Parts: sequence; structure tokens; C-alpha cells
Amino acid sequence: MKVLKIALAVVAVPLGVIAFRLLHGDLHQTEIRSLPAVVIGWTAIATGLLAWWQRPVNRMGMLMTLFGFAVLIRPWQYSDRPWVFAVGFLLGGLSFALLGHVALAYPTGRVVDRLELMLVRVGYATVLSFPLAILLVTPEGARLKYAPLAPESPILLSANADLAKTLEKAYVIVFFGFLTACFVVLLLRKFVKATPRSRRILLPLLLAVGVAALRAFYEFLSTFGSEVPAIADYVYWWQVAGQIALSFAIVWGLLYSRLAAAHVADLMRDLDRVPPEKLRDALARALDDPSLELAFWLPERNEYADAHGRRVALPTPGSRRAVTVLESDGEPLAALVHDPGLREDARLLDAAGAAARLALENARLQAELRAQLAQVQESRARIVAAGDGQRRRIERDIHDGAQQRLVALALELRAAQKRLGGELGPELDAVLADAVGELQLAVSELRELARGVHPAILTEEGLGAALESLADRTPIPVRIVTAPPGRLPSEIEGAAYFVACEALANAVKHAGATSVTISAARRNGTLVVEVADDGVGGASLNGGSGLRGLSDRVEAHGGRLRIESPPGGGTRVIGELPCAS
Amino acid sequence: MPRTVVIVDDHARFRRSARKLLELEGFDVVGEAADGASALVEVQRLRPDLVLLDVQLPDASGLDLVPLLSPISEVLLVSSRDRDDVAGRVGRSGALGFIPKDQLTGEAVLTALESRR
Repeated sequence: MKVLKIALAVVAVPLGVIAFRLLHGDLHQTEIRSLPAVVIGWTAIATGLLAWWQRPVNRMGMLMTLFGFAVLIRPWQYSDRPWVFAVGFLLGGLSFALLGHVALAYPTGRVVDRLELMLVRVGYATVLSFPLAILLVTPEGARLKYAPLAPESPILLSANADLAKTLEKAYVIVFFGFLTACFVVLLLRKFVKATPRSRRILLPLLLAVGVAALRAFYEFLSTFGSEVPAIADYVYWWQVAGQIALSFAIVWGLLYSRLAAAHVADLMRDLDRVPPEKLRDALARALDDPSLELAFWLPERNEYADAHGRRVALPTPGSRRAVTVLESDGEPLAALVHDPGLREDARLLDAAGAAARLALENARLQAELRAQLAQVQESRARIVAAGDGQRRRIERDIHDGAQQRLVALALELRAAQKRLGGELGPELDAVLADAVGELQLAVSELRELARGVHPAILTEEGLGAALESLADRTPIPVRIVTAPPGRLPSEIEGAAYFVACEALANAVKHAGATSVTISAARRNGTLVVEVADDGVGGASLNGGSGLRGLSDRVEAHGGRLRIESPPGGGTRVIGELPCAS
Repeated sequence: MPRTVVIVDDHARFRRSARKLLELEGFDVVGEAADGASALVEVQRLRPDLVLLDVQLPDASGLDLVPLLSPISEVLLVSSRDRDDVAGRVGRSGALGFIPKDQLTGEAVLTALESRR
């Protein structure tokens, strides 16, 4: 294949020279007017061979090379040698059909759309059949537009100069009128239907639209204008420039995916350094799709999740996003949600997927861990909340059950004592009074028990009232500096209350404090509860005290507990609890 | 002349025992209510000298009812909770005073009533 390409490049040189000589020497065109065919032909062949060499599987390079040769052979129709003229006249039109084919096949090299395929076939049939028909009736000196010097056709069947000229006009109307209009419409449709990413690659097609329109306009002017107007010259040169630019644009477009392949190489090089949460960005760069989303398959949960372990719903078929599932050992590993235009670059997707497999597996593991961690955190919060709920119910049961019965019993005993008064005698009266006293003690003990389980005042009146009550019951002076007005979520109030409770207990029992201040305030969606004493300090979370359990409780609600307790410098216990509501 | 009393508490057992005790001690218990809404109705209707009002009712806090009831009758708060849990707020509510339920006696009620004079 390499030899073939070198041979084609070599052959293109004399063909260009011959074309120039035919246009300049035989047709007596000016030098400058004789050059475009040579430049367009050589440019197309050079860029076509480059594309063919770089992307051997893609047929674009071959099509472009053929287009270049057709452009170089077209001037043969100006030869006065019958067979040279006939070959040039017959094959010269192929340059236009090939140009259309190149544009419609871009960028994959294949025409897939049914209408586009039909147009390409009709185009080839038109550029071959009309010249053939014309050749069959062209006598010497017919002075055709496309062959002003035409000798007698070597395949003349029946000489008829008028018919030949009529056929030539029909050829211009069918090819440059009808078929070119269809071509322009199909190209614009292709461009409009494309996704943003594909549109960038399809940009050369807009150039092709311009070239086709200008060339068709020029052909009509020169075929049907009685005298060729001055504007025709501008139109001619613009379409020449367009054709040259088109070759470069198409090769740029083809190599663009090669550049993307280079991005995959960059991706492979960088993967070692890319942290799992940045993997999406790296893939988006490599695939040149900023909209790329990455979802990891979590087999245990039977769902996709993002790098943070949050559930991701893949787009349904028919949506404007495409999904490519990357597999590992036959199991889904991850899904790329991307621009549908990337499907045209399936090899690029495969390459990026293969390059990133190991990193994806790591990232998947991390996503899985994060998902599990989130689950554990949720379940920890649920367990604490369930425990709190249970405590509230027990407190309620004690209050409404045993406590009420004992209170009622005490009152009734007192009533009996009152009614029977003098009749009982001092001994029995003392027994009744004792019983009432015992009952009051039992009620009081039950009250303490219930409060320890869960303070009713917290449920009923909120954190501020509960802290006040706590302060009143503490044997050393406690000052409430601030308390949040209104109510907070019950689990947050509960956690904050127990922080204050435990810190106070510590201050009294272990720190030997003589005074304590408590403040609880909301700051930026966080309830900060702070208890400061003037005791001996030296408390820590690792001291095996109740502070450790307290820290667990605060963390279960997504908060954190800090202890500042320098020896001899008092203790500050600070609980931070997120409370958005 | 015996003083008239309305007892407001959601525990029927307590209302029964308290009625028995207070009647023995010379009070005239003219009505009972189990929640805040019916307490308002009964107190309006009966206009007693004294309302014995539980701090925690199913539909309202007794503390919030005090301003509504005190223009009609004297209000004495009762609860089986600790005095410390309510003392501060009882003082601010405008009620006559607070008696823990297990310490309810005619004498305690009279002492509270006399403290007002």
C-alpha cells in the first residue's frame, strides 16, 4: 500500500504539468487561470494521501485522492486528440461527483443515510451518463462549452451538434441545478442534526456548501449568460479558494480525532496522578466532551453511583444523552454518559475506556466505600434517633403510668387519713402518714429516673427551658449566656442537651469547678453549644469518660465535639451540630 | 362558704383522687376538664374561684392557658414533674403558684390562695 501511495504521488506531478499545458497551451487560458485546476488537484492528492496514510481504515483519504486525480484529468477534455479528449470529457465530471461524495462521507468515509447514498449514486450516474450521451453525438467543431476545441468524438454514433449542445445544457441543469440543491440541503441537515461536539468536526461541511453553491452559480452564469458577467470571475476565484481550503479543512477534521487519540495517550500517562474524584475530568478532556458524566456500577446496591457514592439514574433511551457501559470481566464497571456525537468515534471511546480501566476500578471501589460510609452514617443517625425515641417513650410511660398511680394513691391515702382522722388513733394515723411520705419519695425517685432517661421539659419546652432547668438543678452556679429561641429538630435538641448535661456532670464531679457558663447559638446552619468551667482541666476525649460517648452521639448527627482542657486552665466542651432547618 | 374549684388534668385517676381530697377539705369541686379546650369552656361556664391546672395537657401547655383563665379565676398549676422544671416559668405566667401533685392538700391550696392577699 505504501508503494501505491508513493506511485500515486509521483504520477500526480506529470498529470499536473499536462493539465497546465492543456489549459495554457491548447485552450489559451492565461497562466493564472490555468493554475487552479493544478493547485486544487495537487492539494487534494497531497492532503488525501496524508489522510490515507494516517487513517488507513477510513476511506476519506482515498476518496480525496481520487477527487484530486479527477480534477487533474478534467482538462484533457480541452485536447484536440480524440481519445485524450474523450477520456477527459467522460471522466472530468467525476471531480464534481467525488467532491460531493467526499463531503457526504465525511468524517467516517462512509455514506450511511439513505437519501445521501441515493444522491451520491445519482450524482455518479449523471456525471458519467450525460458526457457519454454527448460523446455519441458530438461531431468535429461542435464548440461545446466543456470542450470548445473538441475533435470528432472517437465513439461518434450519429453526429448532431444541436443535440450535443442541448444535452450539455440539460446536464448543467440536472447536475448543478437540481442535484447541487439537494446536496446543499442534505449537508445543512447533517450539520443541524449534529450534536455540539460533532458540529465542531462537521465545520468543513459548511465550506463544502459554500463551494457547491458558488460553483453551481458559476456554471449557470457561464452556460446560460449571453455574455459572461464580471461577477462570474469573482465567483470562480472564490470557489477555487473554497475547494483548496476544503481539502485542508477535511484533513484537519480527520486528524482532529487523531489529536483526540493523543489525548487518550495523555490520559494514560496522567492516570497515575489523577485522584479518583478527578477521573471524570481527565476522561472528559481525553474524549473532548466537557458534558461527560461518570457513573460507577455498585453491584451490591444494584445501581449506579457518582464518585461520592450518591445514586445516579442513567438517561433513558431516546434522551439527548448517550450511554456507554464499560465492562470488566463481563460485569458492568462504569457508565459514561456523553454527547451522542462520541458514538461516531467508537474506537476513541474504547481506547479511553481501556486506558482508564484500572483507574476506574479504583474509583469504583472508592465510590462503593463512600456509598457504604454514607449508609453507615445514615444508619448510625437512625440508631441514635431510635434510641432517643425509645427514651422519650419510656419517660412518657413512667410519667403517665406508675407516677400517676402513685400520685393518686398518695392523695387517696391522704383523703382516708383526713376522713378517718380522730377515729384511727395516733398509731394508725402515723402509719398512714408514713405511707404517704414513702409514696412521695417513690414519686420523687421515679421523677429523677424519668428525667435521666429523657427530660420531659426538653420534649415539651425545648432546649432553652431544658438548659435553664438543668442549671437550676446543678449544685454550683451555672450561667446560661445564650440559648436559641424557638424549637430545633428534636434530635439536635437532644444531642445539644446531652452535651451540656455531660459537660456539667464532668465539671462538678471531676473538674472541681466553682462556676460554669453555657451558651447555645445557631451560626450559619450549625448549632454550637459550648460549656466552659473554671475547673482543673486535663479532660480529653480519650479519657474513657462519658465524653467519648458524647462525641459518638454528636458525630452520629454529622456534627463534631471538641474539648479544650489545658491542665489548670478550665475545660471548654464545644459541640457543633448541623441544623439546616 | 366553701370555695368552688374546677380541676383540669388529662389523668382521670388524678381528677378523682384530687376531687375526693379537696371535697373532704371543704372545697366545692364544681367541674372537671381533661384538656385545654374543654377547660376554657368549663371555666367560662362555671366561673369557679379556683382552677387547678395541670402544666402539661394533651392539646396545650397549662402555662399558655394561664393568661386566658386568670381574668376569670385564680389559677394554681399542678404537675407530677419537678418544681425546678417549671418554677421559673410559673412565676412569669401570672399563676397563683405551683404545687407538685403528690404534695396536694387543702392546706397547700389555702396557703397559695392566701399568699395572693
